[in-house]
Amino acid sequence: MDFTSFLKAPEINVKIVTYRDIFQDKAMIENRFGEEYRNLSAVIKLDPSDFKQLSVKKGDSVILKNSFGTVVVIAEESGYEPSHKGIAYMPSSPWSNMLVSDETGGTGVPRFKDISVTVASAKGQKVTELES
Amino acid sequence: MEKNYYVCTGCGMLCDDIEVESEKNIINKVYTACRIGVAHMKDGKESAVFRVDNKPVDEATAISEAVAILKNAKNPLIFGLGTCSDETQELAIELARKTSANLDDTSSYCLGKVIEALLNNKFKACTLDDVRNKADVSIFWGSDPSDSHPRHLSKHSYFPRGTEKQRGWEEERTAIAIDVRKSHTAKICGNYFFQIPPGGDKEFIDALIAALAGKLPKTSYNFPPKRILELANILKGAKFGVIFVGLGLIYSLEDLEPLIQLMNALNEKSNFHLVPMVVHYNMRGFNENLFKETGYVNSVKFEDGTVKHGPEYSIVESLKAKTVDAALIIGSDPLSSLPRSISKNLLEIPTIVIDPCETLISKKAKVYISTAISGVESGGSATRMDGVKVDFKPVIETKRPSDEAVLKKIMEAL
Repeated sequence: MDFTSFLKAPEINVKIVTYRDIFQDKAMIENRFGEEYRNLSAVIKLDPSDFKQLSVKKGDSVILKNSFGTVVVIAEESGYEPSHKGIAYMPSSPWSNMLVSDETGGTGVPRFKDISVTVASAKGQKVTELES
Repeated sequence: MEKNYYVCTGCGMLCDDIEVESEKNIINKVYTACRIGVAHMKDGKESAVFRVDNKPVDEATAISEAVAILKNAKNPLIFGLGTCSDETQELAIELARKTSANLDDTSSYCLGKVIEALLNNKFKACTLDDVRNKADVSIFWGSDPSDSHPRHLSKHSYFPRGTEKQRGWEEERTAIAIDVRKSHTAKICGNYFFQIPPGGDKEFIDALIAALAGKLPKTSYNFPPKRILELANILKGAKFGVIFVGLGLIYSLEDLEPLIQLMNALNEKSNFHLVPMVVHYNMRGFNENLFKETGYVNSVKFEDGTVKHGPEYSIVESLKAKTVDAALIIGSDPLSSLPRSISKNLLEIPTIVIDPCETLISKKAKVYISTAISGVESGGSATRMDGVKVDFKPVIETKRPSDEAVLKKIMEAL
């Protein structure tokens, strides 16, 4: 019996900052229901130390959760220096918007660039599909 | 040979130097435009789609169903319009008046308050042509034009040889990025990239104001004071400086007061202007058109000949509070661009979607009408991110009606 199957996958808390990406924008114009747009949107860019803590590799699926939603996306290395442990980046998209809080303090402005989630490995799981 | 140039409506820059090759109403080649512009201009489709409850219908049926929804609604929401011409926006304002609607656009949750401040002369403004010809210091603050407005640096803010800047970026221009991550634009800025922590903008502004006054700049995140003093010295020496304000900065500030104070401090020492990095090609046009009509740039409610205004009339708050009972969405996809925790409430009310593209909301709409792409398949006028008016003509013809024509029919039927 593989006892590791009883161990809970390590989970970390990260704060997500969203951003725009020209390649993703272009893919959206061409087909927002297409594979290219999904591949360029359903990603989270993590710090190398967060990869290590999660025991995941570049290209693995991870599950992002908070009280507003849950999405499975692909983990990518940010390539950014200096280290940004605990801060992750996602292109703005319906996937990041699944996790944005509805709390606005009555201002009409959601906190698109300040999303708190837990991240855990979701090896083998498919990326969340857009509802259509 | 005289060249035939078109305007690209792919973003708020409204580049007016685009050439195309087309045949039988299909654009085969696009010259000069960026990656986004090329995709946008090639996105035309000849045939129209009209649907009610996801079933194909004729145009008259779709219009009459849309009219029935608006007639039955006590408090409809009219939303979108950032990718529509001035002419369509003016009709939408009239329609909102006629139907006692909530009227809002994406600016209520992005750069609306900056545009409002510009229209109320709270910031010194300039045009992108001024930037090209005169600017010696450009600051990209929470903005990344290399991804959002790909030709910004090459056409206006950094690389061109303007009339008073013949020596170009090598000798006469400094590009500075202040951001929470090393964006593509920050990479171009090289040593003039100032990386701050998320939410650290206000403190950086305060520290910069202190440095401009010759005081020691301090931040709780220990940004090296020497670097802030170096930055302040560059800004003090600017003959024509510009801050290109993006959402990264605006989302980090509770209100615009720190930015107003910084601009005032800069203009005591040098000459600084502000340009908002508007993404949708005519969001600024919507803000200006509504401002002209009502004195507000977004988030209004028309009622008994009066206009109410406030965040409670924004799409976000009105959906959250469920105060709207139907929605007419023109050229926008709230299911894609808003938090799902809020936009899901749209699924509980009848929606009419008028959009050139199939979107998440068009697939859920009670009525969907596919329209011509404004600027590719239909003409009109718009306002560039810097406030300059631009007229544009269609590049190709389509059987799809323009959003302006659809709104006219809805108005007439009402």
